[in-house]
Amino acid sequence: MTTLPSDVLKSVRFPFVVADILRKRQMMKRELLKQTNLVPTRIAILGGSTTTEVKSMLELFLLAQGIQPTFYESGYNRYSEDVQFENPDLWNFKPSIVFIHTTWHNISAFPELLEADVDVEQRIRREMGRFEFLWEKIHAELGALIIQNNFDLPGLRPLGNLEASESFGRVNFVLRLNAEFASYARNHSRFLINDILYLSAQVGQAEWFRSTYWYSFHMAVSPIGTVALARNVAAMVKSVYGKSKKCLVLDLDNTLWGGVIGDDGVQNLILGRDHPVGEAFLDFQRYVKGLQRRGVILAVCSKNDLENAKEGFSHPDSVLKLEDFSAFKANWDPKPDNIRAIATELNIGLDSIVFVDDNPAERDFVAEQLPEVAVPNVGADVSSFAEVLEQERYFEVEKVVQDDLNRSAYYSSNAERSVGQSRFSDYGEFLASLEMTAEIGPFAPVYLERITQLINKTNQFNLTTRRYTSGEVVAIAQDPSFITLYGRLADKFGDNGLVSVLIGQVFDETVHVNLWLMSCRVLKREMEYAMFDVLIEQCQARGIRKIVGTYIPSKKNGMVASHYAGLDFRFMGATSEGGELWGYDVPATYSPRTRYIRKTADTLLATSPSADNESVASEA
Amino acid sequence: MPMNRDEFLLEMDEILDLPAGTLRGNEKLEELQNWDSTSLITFIALAESNNGVSISPGQIVTCATVADLLRLAQAESSAS
Repeated sequence: MTTLPSDVLKSVRFPFVVADILRKRQMMKRELLKQTNLVPTRIAILGGSTTTEVKSMLELFLLAQGIQPTFYESGYNRYSEDVQFENPDLWNFKPSIVFIHTTWHNISAFPELLEADVDVEQRIRREMGRFEFLWEKIHAELGALIIQNNFDLPGLRPLGNLEASESFGRVNFVLRLNAEFASYARNHSRFLINDILYLSAQVGQAEWFRSTYWYSFHMAVSPIGTVALARNVAAMVKSVYGKSKKCLVLDLDNTLWGGVIGDDGVQNLILGRDHPVGEAFLDFQRYVKGLQRRGVILAVCSKNDLENAKEGFSHPDSVLKLEDFSAFKANWDPKPDNIRAIATELNIGLDSIVFVDDNPAERDFVAEQLPEVAVPNVGADVSSFAEVLEQERYFEVEKVVQDDLNRSAYYSSNAERSVGQSRFSDYGEFLASLEMTAEIGPFAPVYLERITQLINKTNQFNLTTRRYTSGEVVAIAQDPSFITLYGRLADKFGDNGLVSVLIGQVFDETVHVNLWLMSCRVLKREMEYAMFDVLIEQCQARGIRKIVGTYIPSKKNGMVASHYAGLDFRFMGATSEGGELWGYDVPATYSPRTRYIRKTADTLLATSPSADNESVASEA
Repeated sequence: MPMNRDEFLLEMDEILDLPAGTLRGNEKLEELQNWDSTSLITFIALAESNNGVSISPGQIVTCATVADLLRLAQAESSAS
């Protein structure tokens, strides 16, 4: 029987059978490698214990996320020496990501019995110093993003419960170290914590660490624990590459509340604390609301009459309100059609969508018709819905940035923009009515997270679809041989946030535009003209006389095929990779193309190269 | 790990990434290309999770053939 990559993808979805994954991993890997459009990455695993199993499982779960890793693996327990003494194999490998797989076994010395508080504190500082040295050297010299395990708990407790309460207790010491690691993560970009304290509790302490594997293979995490660890790290890498989902599409009846609104009426819905099942629906709504608050877009896709469906949210115990949803489809059309319409309305790809429905027939239909949409097997019991979504780590993020919080508000106000548009017969009149302002300038430290996020997830308005890690973005921002531009766009309905990014590399009097992208949120708003105007200003200020733009066609970026032609570039020829080169001579005098976007004072300030370079350098 | 010989051999086929039905039991472990630390760990983990039997690497060292592995799993299973 032939196994397809889609079958393999199903078998690594929650709930999965760990034994199947262990047994079939070779076949699964082989099948997953048949996928097209895999995103390559280079990961160095620096181990404080044996990492063969970690590498094997991580590769599998990354392939399942559409990411194809190449690995460097340190020798056993050489995580520190490899960095400290600059192992040339590691340095030549040039990792994009360094994963430091350390566990409690790698704590150099636990406190002595009855050790004074001040000495324990010193011990923590020493331990932190040892790790900080490695992290800073990796950031400074390898420029890689770091994923660092925090610490799991030692299996044995010679002092019993005192291990947790006394400052010299081992549990207490691990928890304090973890707090220090977390503090470092909060204060440093490109540094993420892989929370193995949580994972070990989730798997179960006794299952996580098995002395058999430690004494026989020096594996600090059992094979079953390693599956959980690898899934977690893969989810983090997925978010780094902008592959996390953006939108949760929800059914209503027996998904967000118990009962059928059309039959039972709003007063008889099962929702709220006075009913055990109603409490489970309430908690699921709270979970969904939490996702919405941190930037996940919500949409409804329900077989219902529209007015009935909307009425459900007037239930006094409904935590979710109508305004939380950026798209609302309640009708009797097939759900795949409605989900397609939602994607179009929100201007997002189908591969950004997760669909939750209690009805297995609807789930199967959507999964079959729209294979790009993630359809978790949530079952029919609402009490497990949130857990399944959690386990799948669909919405994992590197950081929550302000633009994430504004996203739902943006999509809701987008509906108002659409209504506004219909009042104007002339599109220019409509654009003028939006009262748009743009802030455009070289990459600034405060925006680097968002810039990296956009670079790694924008597919449609993206001339080259080149991906950069956050480390590479920081390096480019500091390199004077590059011209970098970010663009923010606001209008009278709200702030669209940072929506456009451009990277050009200067060679003598020519700048090669390696990357130019824009969020589809602001298509047809002339934001690309505003970016081009500032690029021209930058070129004129730096004595650059020619701009060379590259267009590399992909399955998704057809909309920008004529982008350079539209800006009066002339076709120069094809590249060896099937791309196109376009040239533009920078004129001595130039009339800005932007007609409807006013550039803010921040733009003028930000375009001062000296001021910007200093600000980026100070962050680094 | 299934104690039925045929099922065991099929499972070992999967662990070693061989087409189903390849192994007969008399193959020497040292001559199997994919018999490495990963497959050894998988064998131990599956014996434990499927059958609740604990097999140490030291016991596996005494096995020369695939059939020896089966005997080991069976012996441990019946002893447990």
